[in-house]
Formats: sequence, C-alpha cells, structure tokens
Amino acid sequence: MSDPSPKPSFGSLLRRPETGSFLGLAAVFLFFTVFGGSNFASLTGAASWLNVAASLGIIAIPIGLLMIAGELDISIGSMVPAGSMTCAIISGHFGLPIAVGVIAALCLGALVGLVNGMLVVRTAVPSFIVTLGTLFAVAGLTLGLSVLITGTTSVSIKAGPEAKFLLGHFIGGIYQVTILWWIAAAIFWGFVLHYSPYGNWILAMGGDKVSARNAGIPTERVTIFLFMCSSMSAAFVGLSQAILYNSAQVSAGQSYIFNAIISVVVGGVLLTGGYGSVVGIVLGTLTFAIVNQGIYYTPFDANWASLIIGVLLLVAVLMNNTFRRMALSYTPSRKVK
Amino acid sequence: MKTKMMKAVLLASVMAFGATAALAEGTVVAVVGGKSDDPFFAKVKKGIDDATLVVQAHGGTVNYLMLQSYDNLGGDAANLVRTAISQGASVIAVPDWVPDAQDEAIKAAQAAGIPVILYNAGGADKAKELGAINYIGNEEYTAGLAAGAYFATHGMKNVICVNTVPGAQNLEDRCKGVADGAAKEGGVSNQLPLPASAFGDPTAVAEAIKATLLKDTTISGAVTISAADANSAATGIEQAGLTGKVALASFDMDGAGLDRIKAGTQLFAVDQQPWLQGFLAVTMADAYVNYGLAISNTPVLTGPGIVDSANIDATLAGAGAGYR
Repeated sequence: MSDPSPKPSFGSLLRRPETGSFLGLAAVFLFFTVFGGSNFASLTGAASWLNVAASLGIIAIPIGLLMIAGELDISIGSMVPAGSMTCAIISGHFGLPIAVGVIAALCLGALVGLVNGMLVVRTAVPSFIVTLGTLFAVAGLTLGLSVLITGTTSVSIKAGPEAKFLLGHFIGGIYQVTILWWIAAAIFWGFVLHYSPYGNWILAMGGDKVSARNAGIPTERVTIFLFMCSSMSAAFVGLSQAILYNSAQVSAGQSYIFNAIISVVVGGVLLTGGYGSVVGIVLGTLTFAIVNQGIYYTPFDANWASLIIGVLLLVAVLMNNTFRRMALSYTPSRKVK
Repeated sequence: MKTKMMKAVLLASVMAFGATAALAEGTVVAVVGGKSDDPFFAKVKKGIDDATLVVQAHGGTVNYLMLQSYDNLGGDAANLVRTAISQGASVIAVPDWVPDAQDEAIKAAQAAGIPVILYNAGGADKAKELGAINYIGNEEYTAGLAAGAYFATHGMKNVICVNTVPGAQNLEDRCKGVADGAAKEGGVSNQLPLPASAFGDPTAVAEAIKATLLKDTTISGAVTISAADANSAATGIEQAGLTGKVALASFDMDGAGLDRIKAGTQLFAVDQQPWLQGFLAVTMADAYVNYGLAISNTPVLTGPGIVDSANIDATLAGAGAGYR
C-alpha cells in the first residue's frame, strides 16, 4: 500500500478509480471468509451474493453513469415494482404472451426515463427533485392502476419455459440467470464509458456541464439517454423478478434506491460527478452484496446485521477515498517521461 | 391530499345526512374501515357488504366510513368516529388502531349513547377497558402460538421466524408467539431479523434465508411474516437444496402461496380471516342495537385460521371469489 518506489506501472495502477474499490472488496471478502466459515466460501455461498449483486448491479451501473454525469435518478425505486407489475398484469392477469409484457414494461421504463430527462433538461430543476417527484408519481400510478385493473396489489404470473430460461432460471440450480445479464450490461456500459466518445462526454458533463456544452457535447441528448437507460434497467430488473418469483407486488423496490447509490459510491464514483468507472461500480456492487449477505454465514446475531453492514461499508469507502485522493492530487514529477 | 380528503369526508357526510333523513327510523350501523384498495381490507369490506343484506332485512342501513390514506391512521380514524356521531349513527364498529388518538372519540360516542364494537385492532383488554360490546379480530401472539405449535406437532422442532421489519410490534408478537408455541410442544424457534436494506428485495431475502439454513442444518421449518416474503423463502429453501426437508409457512397468504400449499411445497399459512371480521362486526352490531343480542365470549377471535392441504381446495375457491 505504501509505495515509495516510483514504479510508474504500479503507481498508475494504484491511481485507477477501481483500485480502491477492489481493495475494499478484498477486505470484506477476507472478513467473511474468516468469520463465515466454509459455507461462505463455497459455490452456494458465492451464489448468495452474486444473485443479490446481479439485480442490484444492473440498476447500479446506469445510476453510476448518471452520477458521473452529475445527475441522480431515485425514481428507480418505483420503476422496479412498476416494471414487474406491468409485466405481471399484461402477461399474468390478462394472459397475453410474455414477450408483450416484457416489451410493455421496458417501454414504460423508456417513457418514464424520457419524462425524467426532459424535465431535468428543460426545467433545470435538480434531478434529485425531479426524480423524487416521479418516484411518487410512478408509485401512485402503479398502485392506482393495479387496483383499478386487477383489484389487488399483488398479481401472480406464470411464465413459459422460454421466458423462464432467459430471465428466471437458476444456472446449475443456484446461480440466477440475471448474473449473465449483469455481465452483459457491464460489458456494454464499460464499452460506452471507456471506449466510445459518449464516455468522455459523460465524464466531462460531470466535471463541468457548461464547459461541456460549450465544447460542443450534446449534453441534453446524453442526459435524456442516461435517464432512459436507468429507468429501463429498473423496469428490466422488475420484470425479471416477477418472472423469477412468479408474482409481483406494488410495494417492492424502494430499497434499491439507497442500495444502488451505496454500491456506486463504494465503487469509487464521486457524489459530485466527473469521476468513476464501470469496473469500480461492479466491484462496489459486489462489496455491498457480500457485506449484506455474508452476515448470515457468520455466527454473529442477526440483530447486529445493520451495524456490521454500516461499519464495513464505511471502511470500504474510506479505503476508497484514500486512493482517490492519491489519484486526484497526483502530479507527475517530470513533465515528460 | 388534505383538501381532497376533506372534500370526500364532506361528501360522505352530506350523503349520509341524506340517507338518515330518508330512513329516519332505521338503524344506522356506522363502520370505520381501511381503504378498499388494500387487499386485506377488500376482504373485510366484502364481509361488511354481505352483512349489509342482514341489516337491510332488519330495516337499517350500513354506512362505511373509509380512510382516504394510512398516513395519519389514529387521527383520521378518530375523526371518522366523530363524523359517525354527528351523522346520528345507532352503533359504531371501529378498529382501535391507535388507542391514544382514538379512545377519546370512542368515549365521546359512548357518552352520546352510541354503543361501540371494536374489530380488527384493539384487542379484548381494550374492549373491556372502553366498555365496548366486544372485540372481533385477530391476536398476533395467539396466531404465532398456533403456527409454532403446528410446526412442532408436525415434527419440525427447530423453526426460524423470518422478520423483514424487525421492531414492528405486531410482527414481534407473531415471532414471539411462534417461539412460545413451539416451546410448548418441545420445539424451539429463533427469529431471523433482516435489515432494512433487504426489505422489498426478494433476492436478498431469499439468499439470507438460504444462508441461514445452510449455516444451521438442524432448522426444519421457516415461517415468514408476510405472504410476499414466503415467495422469497420458497426460493431460498429451493436454492439451499432443502425442498422437502425444510417446511415453509407464512402469516397471511396470496395466490402464489395457495398454489404452493396445493402443490405441497408449502406446509401451511396462518390466516386471520378478514371476511369474518367485517361480517361479524356488522351483524353483531346490528343484533346488539336492535335486539340486545351479544355473544358472551370475549374476544371473538377470527384467527388464526390454518390453511393447509386439508382445506386448500375450499380456500382456493374462496380466494377466487374474493373471500379469502
């Protein structure tokens, strides 16, 4: 950790945004391997946190990108149940093909994201407030329409074998297929952020939006695009949970708001924007999932779970901050190598 | 929100005044109750609607005073009791959700000569203290006792009570009941409290249950405090490879849970039978105020009703018709 030797490769590795989050992840993994025993380190134990991380991770990446671009989307807390209820009502209650339900849920996500993005861009009201509004509005719509259409707040859905295979089955009996979707999402977003021009635009917007616009970056289009992606991701997680658990509830999903933001911040994204990476967010999500689920493998009384989660997350973030400071305050000692 | 609610209350009172004026002599049974879009109260309301036929046969009417939201439960319910008083109700059925906020209004009704019957919430002691006709409803601790005893007598001696909202008194009572009920039959039950970061995330709940079952292989039963959590628990048990070895149960039930009981992957569900609460509250209020009839048992417990393989077919039929 303390590296007095000026090895350029090692030094630059330390200053990468994801190094801190990797060390945080390693620390909590070690903690639970020591205290959690053989069950935690087993394949079934790994499935515990991978399954939880997968659905959270699919939402956390676009949320992280929004945060890098200096925005926030908390309406996902309502989009998760909205997505699952849309899918369950269309394909469960009305018995239409599952594909119709899936597409409708994703379209709803795109629509809510479009509204979020347009409102943020057009009104210049902080996105926290705008999405706080849509958080309640979508929750109200979901409840109102569900009761109006089905008369209940919980709808059961029986998906066919194809839909189950794609969205709701367990690989090897223990790993949710959602994990593969998460990996796909991470690769897609990793490409967008780190290898496409969009990536630099997003980082530049988070650094200074006005300068970014002056430099010719279509900031409004990028903002709307990111909001649509985060809402659609939330809807996707919602519908895949409906298919996986054979039922949808109006009230589920609020915990995703905080959990996603925590994962992103643990993953090294600056709350103020302009700094972060997709790998970091993935590692942050894993850290959060391990901390949350690992506790059940330890002999500690579950009453202390929240305390241990809080302390471990603080440790992970502090570790991260140290490395970020190192990265941000870094000035090359010589101008040119 | 507030103005909308005031408008609704105003409208309800205007309509009720019209109704009382039209049927000057008939009995008016005022019922304070929850929102009908709440799946639980939808069933209570069905019981009230069915009981209305009896009241009408006796020449009376039923006036359902519905809460517009649950944001200010005690205060709003107290206001609805006062509305019922001003409408000249003959008898009032009301859940005593927040005694501190509601008891004053209930006493005011009694002072105005209107008898009160408690249902759904309040309990026998409260009914006695207030001098209410009776209490009709469920007692969480008793429901827990039944669940714990059912497990233990069916051979599951080590049971976890999965609590996704630790600290909520009614849920703590359920889990404490499970522990005491199991203990009576020689079993043991511990609570598995889950942090708020897991609430509403079925995967997190499922994985927590899986991990707990893997850690302690002597656990042979799991009961969840809600129907939705039972869906997660079913996945957790399956993931741990313990289907058939760890029995599942739930407080309350939904369609997926009933399907599991039918399929044999869930042992039972504890139901507080909300239809009975609405039906009995209204018919007993009507019988008391018209003919002086009263059940001598206190309280009248509508739960715990156990739904298992023995009565699942009738329960499914009831669920389809909106009674369960």
